[in-house]
Amino acid sequence: MTTHLTTELAGPPPAPGIFDELSKREIRRAVLSGIAIPGYQVPFGSREMPVARGWGSGGLQVTLSLVSEKSRLKVIDQGEDAGVNAANLRRLVVNHVGCEEETDTREADIIQSRHRIPEQPLRDGQVLVLQVPGAEPLAGIVKEMDEQRRMHAEADYAKMWVRLYEDVVHNGLVTAAAGYPVLVEGRYIMTPSPIPRWDVPKLNGSQAITILSAGREKRIFAVPPHTHVVPLTFEDRPFEVEHTPGAACRLCGSADTYIVQEPARDGQFSTWACSDTDFCRRRRAGDAPATVPHVQPTALQAAQPSEPAPPALVQPAAQPARRDQEETA
Amino acid sequence: MTTPHTTSHTTPHTGPAPTPAFTPTAIPAASHQAGRAPADPPTDLPSDTVLSVRGLRKGFTLHTIDGRTVDALHGVDLDVAPGEHVALAGTSGAGKSTLLRCVYRTYLSGGGSIWFRTAAGDLRDVAALPDAEVADLRGQEIGYVSQFLRPQPRRSVHEIVTSAGTARGMTRAAARTAAEAALHQVAIAEHLWDMHATVLSGGQKQRVNIAAGTIAPPRLLLLDEPVSALDPANRAAVLDLIARLKETGTAVLSVFHDLDAIERLATRVVVLGGGRVLAAGPPSDILRDSNLPLEVAR
Amino acid sequence: MSTAATAPPTTSAPPTWALRTEGLGRIYGDPGPASLVGTGPDFGTEISPATGAVVAAWDVGFEVAPGEALGIIGESGSGKSTVMRCIAGDEQATAGTIALRGVGDGTVNIRDLSPTARRKLRLQQISAVYQDPAAGLNLDVTAGGNIADPLTAIGWRNYGSIRQRAAELLQRVEVPVGRMDDAVRTFSGGMRQRVQIAKALANDPPVLLLDEPTTGLDASVAAGVLDLLRHLLEETGIAAVVVSHDFGVIDLLTRRVLVMQHGRVVESGLTDQLLEDPQHPYSQQLVAAARG
Repeated sequence: MTTHLTTELAGPPPAPGIFDELSKREIRRAVLSGIAIPGYQVPFGSREMPVARGWGSGGLQVTLSLVSEKSRLKVIDQGEDAGVNAANLRRLVVNHVGCEEETDTREADIIQSRHRIPEQPLRDGQVLVLQVPGAEPLAGIVKEMDEQRRMHAEADYAKMWVRLYEDVVHNGLVTAAAGYPVLVEGRYIMTPSPIPRWDVPKLNGSQAITILSAGREKRIFAVPPHTHVVPLTFEDRPFEVEHTPGAACRLCGSADTYIVQEPARDGQFSTWACSDTDFCRRRRAGDAPATVPHVQPTALQAAQPSEPAPPALVQPAAQPARRDQEETA
Repeated sequence: MTTPHTTSHTTPHTGPAPTPAFTPTAIPAASHQAGRAPADPPTDLPSDTVLSVRGLRKGFTLHTIDGRTVDALHGVDLDVAPGEHVALAGTSGAGKSTLLRCVYRTYLSGGGSIWFRTAAGDLRDVAALPDAEVADLRGQEIGYVSQFLRPQPRRSVHEIVTSAGTARGMTRAAARTAAEAALHQVAIAEHLWDMHATVLSGGQKQRVNIAAGTIAPPRLLLLDEPVSALDPANRAAVLDLIARLKETGTAVLSVFHDLDAIERLATRVVVLGGGRVLAAGPPSDILRDSNLPLEVAR
Repeated sequence: MSTAATAPPTTSAPPTWALRTEGLGRIYGDPGPASLVGTGPDFGTEISPATGAVVAAWDVGFEVAPGEALGIIGESGSGKSTVMRCIAGDEQATAGTIALRGVGDGTVNIRDLSPTARRKLRLQQISAVYQDPAAGLNLDVTAGGNIADPLTAIGWRNYGSIRQRAAELLQRVEVPVGRMDDAVRTFSGGMRQRVQIAKALANDPPVLLLDEPTTGLDASVAAGVLDLLRHLLEETGIAAVVVSHDFGVIDLLTRRVLVMQHGRVVESGLTDQLLEDPQHPYSQQLVAAARG
């Protein structure tokens, strides 16, 4: 009986490959804890993956523990399905599990992403897995991990607010570009991973489950569906997203998606294109919503020096992930 | 404005109880408190007596000088009624200032009682009262003007007098007005009002002191040689001011070093010698008694 | 709220004091009764001969009323700062009661509260000003940002309101408002101390603890800070505990004082009485030394 139960609990017999079933179960337990306590960082035993830590090893472990043969898997890097890192990760999982590759956001069951949330609003039943280079939003504020944990435990976030206050004093606004700190369900402050500000409002009240996983730091945290996710800002300093007046995607013409500048042969940046290649393609084919409901762009003039544009805005759409971007994000 | 984090700060610790600590028994609580157990109030006092000193004793133990003891008062009895001005007389070292300081609790009495009738009509033994209650009485009902000129540093003349008024419950505006009147009365020129009192002359300081002490006349005013440093004209102005306190019903217990002041102001004179009361009576009788040890300028 | 639920039912009126301690003690080492034997002023030591424990403070009891300032004087190692830190919650007392009128009308022994609850008391119930400004301030943050800390901690979320409040407080402590956006590190010692005081007053706490607030400052600078504190204590109705080794500070700021030696209170009295008629041999020594 006991033997039988143990076998049941252990799931399918170990398959030769990169991730054993017991490890997957541990990841799923961490994911469930994260969903139960939105925004809380759950420690987990991050395993060695066939990719280096910092290259999506955390996201890969979550994806591998959730994916099945029947899953349709989309992997993007900065919105791009064809990015080298995205393509490699996707092939790795597909070859290992035998699931289906998918690029259409609407059809995907699991979307693993580095630094973007797709423009297509996610729906009930989908899981967004975000790769997280730095899980701790308080890391730049207090050094000691004990103190960071105490602050989270007591919701003692005054020092974070002082940081924002100082930012406004010195810069006229909260300058955090990627990874803007958010308050999850009124309780935990969380980093949404280095997504642009543009994507932050998409987390609020999302129908999908968002799982954030940091392989190097061994933390998993999550935003369950229909959860309040509010960017931290002062009442009289409204949260603003990136917007460049007059700029639009060279390909689909959209001005209501997150667009990035493309490098020309001469090294200049003069043209813009959608960061989300799937959405751009469907826009051109007339197969995407005419408007994106999440965001009403507001001018962000002060953060928008004309030359050079801030890195978050100029990353070329097809540029492969570089190690230093991961490190510094 | 939301205050999300302020709701539960008083929730007691619900985890394991703190290490059980034993209660301190080595020293009885508050053993260091100066006040003694109060005696029963006297029953033979006239109902309007403001101050009644009974059997007051005071000695000093000088621990820094071989533990030597110095006796100052050996059982002094003394009553003061509202509107009455009792002047203490006697030679230097007779215990006049010591008595005043015991009543104000700048000195701790060694025995006896100092009954003070509060505005509410209760009798309180200043010698045995807890410090905080004495401090409250000082703020509101018992005033003290010292011969020692130790004005608070870096405080303007006007501020010193005004804050004396607010300490006695006047509004800031009323205290300011009263302070200006009092300063005029003791002839402190207006250009001195915003100067720090520490830079004034001895006589000016003394007049600021008296202005502060009388701005909102307390029920009991203790005067320790308040005109010692004054020239004749200013002295007369201050004596006038003190004389008018009778109209407010203030009970005054004073030490003056000159006969004229006592004769002019006192309703009764109490002569101290060797820490005891030698004689008491109206100034006309006492001051002319050549057998009494009076060290006063005639 | 939770206060009502945890406080024993009481029909009496709120206490007249803002802060009260009774039998407060702090022992480093074995906290058993054996550690007490042979310590204190009578034995000339705070170190237990039996257990080696340090009886840093023992049986300290006092009440402070709103608008009143109580001094604690003594030399280094007398236990005065230990008492302050135990009240502030920087240290956990070994024995005794600490009660605040603002917490359950004084019926809660805040020593029993969790560290989390104790820290929260520091937001609106008790503030402390330390000798070293770096202990109470983040020197790399602006003056305004340091004041924003306790404000945001209790829920202020309007940038304009926070700045307005910070400017008011800086004005009150006589720091030029034009320096509000400068890092405190660029401030002089006296100015840092003023910013620390402004931060301590940010949420109008009923109890303020001052630990050697002017020690280490140049005499003229110290005088300015003392004058400021005197004005604030007179005007705010705050209950203050002033810990100092300096009778000048105690004389200027307080109306009552405790004298501590070897972890015990050896005398308490009105401040002028302590200065004019000290009773205990140690008090007399202190006064004689202060008088020169």
